[in-house]
Amino acid sequence: MLLTLMIFVPLIGMVVVLCLPRNSEETIKRTTLVFTLIPLILGVILLAGYDRGSEEHQYAVDVVWIEAFDIHYHIGIDGLSVTLLLLTVLLGPICVIASWRNIEKGIKAYMALFLLLETGMIGFFAALDLFLFYVFFELTLLPMYFLIGIWGGPRREYAAIKFFLYTLFGSVLMLIAMIAVYLKGETFDIPTLITLAQQDGHALANPVFQIWVFLGFFIGFAVKVPIFPFHTWLPDAHVEAPTAISVILAAILLKMGTYGLIRVNFAMLPEGMAFFTDPEAAVKLGRSATWGYGLAILGFINIVYGSFCALAQTDFKKLVAYSSIGHMGFVILGLAARNESGVTGAILQMFNHGVISAMLFLLVGVVYDRAHHREINGFGGLGSKMPIYTGITTLAFMASLGLPGLSGFVGEALALLGAYSKYQVLTILSTIGIVVGAAYFLWTLQRVFLGKLNPKYEGISEINGREILTLVPLGILTILFGVCPSLLISMFNQAVRLLPLVP
Amino acid sequence: MVVPLISIILLCPLAAFAFFGLLSLTGRNYSRQDLVSTAAMLIAAICSFLLLPQITSHPEPISIPWIEIDQIKLSMGFYFDSVTAVMLLVVTIVSSLVHIFSIGYMHGDPRYPRFFAFLSLFSFSMLFLVVSDNLLGIYIGWELVGLCSYLLIGFWFEKDSAADACKKAFLTTRVGDVGMFVGMMMLFTKFHTFALYGDGGIFAAVANLGSGDIVWLSIAGVLIFCGAIGKSAQVPLHTWLPDAMEGPTPVSALIHAATMVAAGVYLTARMFPILTPDSSLTIAYVGGITAIVAATIAIVRFDIKRVLAYSTISQLGYMMLGIGAGSYVAGLFHLTTHAFFKALLFLGSGSVIHALAVHNGSHGDEHDHESEHHDADHGDTEHHDDAGFDSHGIPAEQDMRHMGGLRKKMPITFLTMLIATLSISGVPFVFSGFWSKDAILAGVLDRAMAWDSVHYYILFIIALGAAGITAFYMFRLIFMTFFGKPRNREMYDHAHESPGSMAIPLIILAVLSFPIVNTWSFNPWSFDKHVKAPKQPHVHAPAHASEERPVLYALAGASNAHAAEDAGHGAHDAAHDHHAHSPAHTIAMVLSIIVASFGILLSYLFYHRKVFSAEGAASRLRPLYNLCWGKYYFDEFYNGVIVALSVAWAGFLRVFDLRVIDGIVNLVGFITRAVVAAFTGWFDNKFVDGLVNWVAQITWSVGGRIRRIQTGAIQNYLLIVLGGVVLLILIFRRYL
Repeated sequence: MLLTLMIFVPLIGMVVVLCLPRNSEETIKRTTLVFTLIPLILGVILLAGYDRGSEEHQYAVDVVWIEAFDIHYHIGIDGLSVTLLLLTVLLGPICVIASWRNIEKGIKAYMALFLLLETGMIGFFAALDLFLFYVFFELTLLPMYFLIGIWGGPRREYAAIKFFLYTLFGSVLMLIAMIAVYLKGETFDIPTLITLAQQDGHALANPVFQIWVFLGFFIGFAVKVPIFPFHTWLPDAHVEAPTAISVILAAILLKMGTYGLIRVNFAMLPEGMAFFTDPEAAVKLGRSATWGYGLAILGFINIVYGSFCALAQTDFKKLVAYSSIGHMGFVILGLAARNESGVTGAILQMFNHGVISAMLFLLVGVVYDRAHHREINGFGGLGSKMPIYTGITTLAFMASLGLPGLSGFVGEALALLGAYSKYQVLTILSTIGIVVGAAYFLWTLQRVFLGKLNPKYEGISEINGREILTLVPLGILTILFGVCPSLLISMFNQAVRLLPLVP
Repeated sequence: MVVPLISIILLCPLAAFAFFGLLSLTGRNYSRQDLVSTAAMLIAAICSFLLLPQITSHPEPISIPWIEIDQIKLSMGFYFDSVTAVMLLVVTIVSSLVHIFSIGYMHGDPRYPRFFAFLSLFSFSMLFLVVSDNLLGIYIGWELVGLCSYLLIGFWFEKDSAADACKKAFLTTRVGDVGMFVGMMMLFTKFHTFALYGDGGIFAAVANLGSGDIVWLSIAGVLIFCGAIGKSAQVPLHTWLPDAMEGPTPVSALIHAATMVAAGVYLTARMFPILTPDSSLTIAYVGGITAIVAATIAIVRFDIKRVLAYSTISQLGYMMLGIGAGSYVAGLFHLTTHAFFKALLFLGSGSVIHALAVHNGSHGDEHDHESEHHDADHGDTEHHDDAGFDSHGIPAEQDMRHMGGLRKKMPITFLTMLIATLSISGVPFVFSGFWSKDAILAGVLDRAMAWDSVHYYILFIIALGAAGITAFYMFRLIFMTFFGKPRNREMYDHAHESPGSMAIPLIILAVLSFPIVNTWSFNPWSFDKHVKAPKQPHVHAPAHASEERPVLYALAGASNAHAAEDAGHGAHDAAHDHHAHSPAHTIAMVLSIIVASFGILLSYLFYHRKVFSAEGAASRLRPLYNLCWGKYYFDEFYNGVIVALSVAWAGFLRVFDLRVIDGIVNLVGFITRAVVAAFTGWFDNKFVDGLVNWVAQITWSVGGRIRRIQTGAIQNYLLIVLGGVVLLILIFRRYL
């Protein structure tokens, strides 16, 4: 019930917001804030009752939804979803606060769509029925499309339609794969499908079938992550989207891709996974061993390609967007390792990148609201005028470039450690990304904050209380999970153990 | 007692920083952050002293689990042995003194509280590094000190040169750190732990490795050492350290002379038990080459801080050479003595800079000295120009060519710096630097003789050469700064001795440069009992068992071990006795005294008596001089090749991404639209007109501006998808 409430409270909020008069902007904002705070409070209650040692799905609800196709409203959380679910409800109010002043037109529609988006995201992480999973996946697509397309920057239409089509293209393949799975397994229930896929002789367990289905799901999720070469929608979408939407995009929507990879590809299609992560498995099926390096190679490309592309950007937001591509590469690399360390690192990295990238986009928003541009070379010396802002940015940059003691490090390190035991050369090559990551962040830090103050910004105002309020919770998490990652790991450790790992 | 004391040592500086950090969020600073930080550091120093009686000969690591996933157990903890004790003392003492010095030196700086907060954060990180019992903990501290170094080099970030320097420092060291991390991954994959000590630790596991793993272990050792190459500014990653002099001088003294840069030496020493002969030789060569290269560059510098920076690099090379030659204790000993006398030299130079810079501003307005040179674009831009007195972008108060005769004006600074110089130059018997340097030289020669190794003979000659050059350039610094006639009358007239808060740390450090104090005959330096060079894997049987012998010749002889301890203060004498034991030792000592004397004499003739002309010598040795002046062109290579290629490659990928990858995407989109449009036009009209209108109406009401987004396209795509799905289900039904 708690979980259901969490999913649908924002939807109720949307209805309420839509009923409010168009011009009562403050009321609309406050109402939205309340309806995003309720899931957060529910999230805290959920966390308090969450059993870290349990192997079961918790807060589960399972009722028949569409009988004809045996589609259930089956929700529940486990270690894989709980961290991202909590991140989603945390970012809800933060994004509303971040949108408080800088959404100038159509605040009502904006807030309504935002609430719809939140329902989609929470529902997606809670869903345990493949069909429901897909419905929520698609449900995030439409509000996102409008949020970028209407409240975005100058090229918003292009960016929105590109985002929409790209994701749709992926989700169609996913849908096909899903239907194929349904026809073999005759159920949409994910836990059941996972059991079936491991039964010897069951049609679902057939490696060739799994490989094809794997590909379908994989491309669907790869677009979301995004994995090279399906990533080009991301920089455009980020650059055009308003600050809060960029935050959601980077922190949650990208994670939907990797979450799907773990929930479906990894857990449900072990044979397919093996084909792309284990050279021997690929050879056994009569294919080239190269296939067995497939996923790791993609992870490596993401890391290095994303980092180098980030290095060359001069748009602050685009730089952060490409850095996301690089950081998601570590998730892919960790998953490709298919061992405890790698998968733990990947899941940690998902959560921590969510927190850190949210901070980064909020920070870009702060300076954009003041300077009305994001050209890195157009700033300079802001450090002397905005010491607090500089301090928080330094913290976020350091966390993102993987400074130990902050949360970004642990996930990356565990993912690399895990990957190293399987793919020595690729892992060593991937460490190039660590150096380049430091390079683009420090270079940005220098160009924006260090040096002599650009006289144009003589009167620039320091970060205000509202903006600090959005950043402080994320900053605290960054430090907390950097120092005590086990707080986080213990939440999903059990779930990792249940995955088909290969030590 | 160990755990609470170490906890206090760590928590004090951390709390001082946290206090600043939290207060900053509200937009305020506590103006007496200096007192908070200094007090925290003094408490830590006292606790470090209290820890001395706690040293045991076989300490057990004390750790708590940090990350536990079934098979992967990472822990964090303390390891407290005599080496830790010494490092704790060195760090807390130097840090305390630097804090006190900074109260005077940084007085009036607009970001005064921040400076002390960063010093506190640094001290915490460095102490964390030192007490960690495992590689991961060391790595965490390692990176954190790097961050602090970054923040403090860039403390006056309005200077472009400082902004460049801090970035360069962070990135250069990170290159080394990545190597170190790969090395750590190798060890972890093999041993499933980062713990170094104890039964399950890496060292215990390494001792049981078969000889088949020796190559693997050599590679891992060298990779770990890569971290030290970066952090300790060894060739070829040394170029960041001279630029790091853009930071305030107390920072140079603490971070870039005494502690952080020595962390690389500490790490290498800690990893001693995994160093194979091959990795040892690599380390020895890197150290030896660094020692000589940096020394030759130091000869031709005019910026007083840069001379000291290259000197630091050179001395760090010495320490590495010592460890690479198996002289574990000698390397650590030199680390200690160097920490004190080099901190003293830097603080002394700070005192000089402070004295000379004051005249630039109005009197009493002392704060802006180094930061006044915001405009000066030094750093990489020291171009060679033979016109003699081009400043090359060196701030006037740091340029030794503006100095001279200052000993009369600044007697305390002069005397204390002279003591440090005598120490670093290796003036025999009275000064600590002599003993530690001699221990390294002897260690190298000893190994050369024991193993009959040409490599180590070569390294011995290199080290000897570097020792002579060190004596030469250090006395050049003293002569140019304190002797002769004032070259810049105006500056000279305004120069004055520094205030008490700056003078007192100088005096204390000067006292610490004497072996009577520095060789602490009390507990931690009774190395004979506690510190033995750990065994190394597969070391050739040394001819006269040099590995078994406590190597700290200068401190306490093996034979006199217990006598030394009993006699308490007798260790120093015991050290003298011990010199008779090894022929290598006598030879090394005699030779080192000869080269040091020669270097000092030459310096005297060049820079004091002016019997020879430095310019004349420079023009006679033009190519060599140019090479040294150009710093062997490392910077040119890095900027011109590595950085340029990386940026170009990034630029290429950016265009590739935009034009090729995204180009394909757009092309596919375009083609699809053209093909599909024809189909949908027909489909729309015939079948789903009503539905489309309905969808359009909804979107209209939501967005209002939806018409601008390619009217109708979305619905079309969705419909195509729907149609496709229906089709696919039919196909699947049929064929699956």
